[in-house]
Amino acid sequence: MPSLQGVFDAPGPVAEAAKRLKNRGFSDLEIYAPAPFPELDDVLDPKPSRVRVYTLGGGLLGVVTGYAMAIWMSNDWPAMIGGKPFAAIPTYTVIGFELTILFGALATLLGLLLVGRLPYGSFGKNDKGYDKRFSSEEFGLVVGCRERDVAEVDALLRAHHAKEVNLVEA
Amino acid sequence: MTPPPALPAALEHPHETSDSKINRDLLSVMDGVSPGYFLLLGTTILVVTAAALTWIYQIYIGLGIAGYTHPVFWGVYIVTFVFWIGIAHAGTLISAILFLFRAKWRNSINRSAEAMTVMAVMTAGMFLGIHVGRIWKAYFILPYPNQRGLWVNFRSPLEWDTFAISTYATTSIVFLFIGLIPDIAIARDRYAGWRKLLYTGLALGWQGTARQWKAHSRSVLHLSGLATPLVLSVHSVVSWDFAMSIVPGWHATIFAPYFVAGAIFSGFAMVLTVMIPVRRVFGLEEYITNYHFENMARLILLTSLIVGYAYVTEYFVAWYSGVEAEQSAFWFRAFGPYWFSTWTMITCNVVFPQLFWFKRLRTHVPTLFVVSTFVNIGMWFERYVIIITSLGREYDPAVWGIYTPTWAELTIFAGSFAFFAMLFLIFMKLLPVVAIYEVKELAIHERAHAAEGAH
Repeated sequence: MPSLQGVFDAPGPVAEAAKRLKNRGFSDLEIYAPAPFPELDDVLDPKPSRVRVYTLGGGLLGVVTGYAMAIWMSNDWPAMIGGKPFAAIPTYTVIGFELTILFGALATLLGLLLVGRLPYGSFGKNDKGYDKRFSSEEFGLVVGCRERDVAEVDALLRAHHAKEVNLVEA
Repeated sequence: MTPPPALPAALEHPHETSDSKINRDLLSVMDGVSPGYFLLLGTTILVVTAAALTWIYQIYIGLGIAGYTHPVFWGVYIVTFVFWIGIAHAGTLISAILFLFRAKWRNSINRSAEAMTVMAVMTAGMFLGIHVGRIWKAYFILPYPNQRGLWVNFRSPLEWDTFAISTYATTSIVFLFIGLIPDIAIARDRYAGWRKLLYTGLALGWQGTARQWKAHSRSVLHLSGLATPLVLSVHSVVSWDFAMSIVPGWHATIFAPYFVAGAIFSGFAMVLTVMIPVRRVFGLEEYITNYHFENMARLILLTSLIVGYAYVTEYFVAWYSGVEAEQSAFWFRAFGPYWFSTWTMITCNVVFPQLFWFKRLRTHVPTLFVVSTFVNIGMWFERYVIIITSLGREYDPAVWGIYTPTWAELTIFAGSFAFFAMLFLIFMKLLPVVAIYEVKELAIHERAHAAEGAH
């Protein structure tokens, strides 16, 4: 199956070209960008990112772990200090808070890896449609299509200011 | 011996001319090492070695070689620990809080500040080990199951500190690494040899696909949301190490905000002190402009005023409280045998930064460098004043004492600066010291706007 690689200078045209192609029923699309641009975020996958689920889950797990750990350990070796309860909840807020952040941060990293599908590919090998210009300042839109659609995709990419269109896979 | 044949031009410059200017300029920081760099790195390694040997000697002999004397058992080690934890605050402030405020000017300084955060926390963490003396028992502070069935005391601010510092260290490393992934991929595409191998591994197969960027920007956003309260909590918890006790001069409710403002103040000063020479040596004037430095100077001025206000409040509360011990502790600070440290602190932290009211001085690089260096000195003395003078005069005049640092403490203190500098020098040659993709983000935006205007 052939793949066409359009090279662009700005994120706006990439987003528009990708939307047009998607509307015409092309589903094998990939965008490469040198930096994050909000206009490209929702083109291929309009659903909100699931990273937030990981952050929230990690944070909740952290706050429960922090308080539970401190309370359980205080009762496991009960030491009466100043006539206070064994479990001094207000002072354990610091522990609960810090573990909220710790677990939340680690879960966010995990979320990035799982949602972003990292580590990606095999060691040292990039996608066929990838070009090191995309880690410079150019954008790429790679479209997998049937042989007979090549001309149409090529025309559409060029109509959206692609400065070049390459056939990357025959 | 015949000289080696000259390398072809392409090999001399791994970044071809067709590559973008931003990539070439910012990656060039990592290329080659000059004799000056070796000299600097060698000096830092030498000082670190001297400090390490001193520490080993101290482990062997015992804490007696430090200047501890009744009643002062927190000395230069704890002062330096608090100092470095404070320095560590600039990175997260710039990366997380300014990110949430959409302050775009942070983009070219955030990476170096984040790296400084990680390095400063590492430096500070060592001082806890140095201070406890019996380093082989340091793990007692962690809640781990043991044969005696004992658990740590979660009511203790020192225990809170353990959780706060280790969380801060972990979160800063995660933050730094996530920001680095796209930049490592840039380096991966442009280097050969061992660097290619290293960067290929660290880049995790990053290609900047829409899916990857979406997950990446969400992660940065969520981490910023987590790191913002964290950065405020860390120095608050450190301040509670003091404020939760009843030592005159420590037992104050203002301590948490006072310490946080001081930490941001000193952290920003350190970023300026380090980045001014780095910018000069590597010719990064195009990316780190005087506009960035001016904004940093404004924040230094703001936090200087907050810190100055805290100093005044401390003295006012001591006087107004009517508590004799509190009053005499503060009298002792200003006019006792440690008057020098107190007046250095006030001059460096409150008087000199006032120069930043003037735009000419805010944008004058030598002035920025000198004032930020003074701020670093002043903030170290602030912790010296708080810790040493308060402990030296507690309630009972019979146990008052005078503490003087010894050669061992001063060597290890000097070693901490060398350790920090050594880590930063190595970092500069291994990883991009300016966030390349964030600089590009702004550049591409500007280009797109310019193109729209032209149409």
